[in-house]
Amino acid sequence: MVQNLKTDVLVIGAGPAGSMTAKWAAKHGAKVLMIEKRQEIGSPVRCGEGMSKEWLKEVEIKPGRWINVEVEGARIYSPSEKVFEINEKHAGNEVGYVVERDEFDKQLAIDAANAGVEVLLKTAATSLLKDGNRVVGVKAKAFGEPFEIRAPVTIGADGFESQVGRWAGIPTNIAMRDMDTCLQYRMTNVDCDVRYCDFFLGRVAPGGYVWIFPKGEGLANVGIGVQVSQVSSPADARTYLDRWIANHPGYAKGKKIDMVGGGVSISAPLKQTVADGIMLVGDAARMIDPLTGGGIANGCIAGKICGTVAAEAAAAGDPSKEFFQKYEKGWRARLEEKLYRNWLAKEKLVTLSDTTFDKVVDALAGVRLEKLNVHNILRAVHEKYPEVTKEFEAFL
Amino acid sequence: MPSKKSLHIESSGQLCIYCGACVGICPLNCIYLDETRITFDERVCTRCEICVKACPVGAIEID
Repeated sequence: MVQNLKTDVLVIGAGPAGSMTAKWAAKHGAKVLMIEKRQEIGSPVRCGEGMSKEWLKEVEIKPGRWINVEVEGARIYSPSEKVFEINEKHAGNEVGYVVERDEFDKQLAIDAANAGVEVLLKTAATSLLKDGNRVVGVKAKAFGEPFEIRAPVTIGADGFESQVGRWAGIPTNIAMRDMDTCLQYRMTNVDCDVRYCDFFLGRVAPGGYVWIFPKGEGLANVGIGVQVSQVSSPADARTYLDRWIANHPGYAKGKKIDMVGGGVSISAPLKQTVADGIMLVGDAARMIDPLTGGGIANGCIAGKICGTVAAEAAAAGDPSKEFFQKYEKGWRARLEEKLYRNWLAKEKLVTLSDTTFDKVVDALAGVRLEKLNVHNILRAVHEKYPEVTKEFEAFL
Repeated sequence: MPSKKSLHIESSGQLCIYCGACVGICPLNCIYLDETRITFDERVCTRCEICVKACPVGAIEID
């Protein structure tokens, strides 16, 4: 019989957003318990493993052995494989690392544990405990044994397939057009350039892209995201990815040594991420960048804010949704504008024809942009193909 | 009322990679992933087929 537990802050899920939230709550004096349903934090990996790096300092994550490859830039390929290169000079520090995601998640959990967080593995939340409408903890199972955890502040950091938010009555449902279905092979013996993360746009991956993230020594993550609303038959993600590989001899000769899949939300920000007694963070709160599909940075940035507010709420004895507005407003002030802008850009991009993609990339390939942003990109395209930018006037 | 179509999730590992894509998109929250086991609630499922599209490997069938 497992003992029932009490804590100030309960974090459900030990991914990056969960660990960051837990760490910052503990650093601000709260008693924190983080539960993880798996036996091993960070594994199995469900990630392309590419991330930007300029945000790491902001949330005080130090470089570690989780860094696999530091890339110099990204290359965007149009359907006819014209190339536009984004390097550090263009993008500020937007380009970054290819990481060992399991090591990264473990490091963040270690940081949390070292800050005083208690961690329970093989422990899954099975439902919420409620006092009226207020969440006051969870029913859980540890190694299959049921028990209860009571906490004034509960955090749903349970990832893309989040249940916690829905149990709490926070609308987190996503439409088919706001999700990409993804598949990735880790391949060895491929001809990738270790200096770049490569992205292939257009009908090769409807509503998404094919990515090549180099992991060194001929190893690379070769993956695809396809917008669910553009899927025409089952297993389209695999069909499209296999086709892309077959059409690229430098990859067709490679060997697959690993395969991962998953869903990525590409939605506009949620209207609500808190309720009485509960806050959502990371993929569970649909904080993934809808243009890039990257979720780690936003999850960690929001996690720092979430953890801080969680500790304050516990100390004040006020875990109300009104108190949690500090988190709601805090993460929005930091992330929402970009999320919304990138969602609008995504909504446009998924409608572009291959011909238009070719023109856009061709126009960009020929110019040097001082700073990479939507406005500058459209200006550059407008110079060469004014007819293309007609559809984008809202952005100019 | 016509009887519901039958939904089959191949979760023995022959196709399913336990990625949770179907769990995340199910509008009725009736698919469950537990390590290497996927189940769905027959009573709640309306056979909307969204999970069929969301599955990257074609492990879900409706007939």
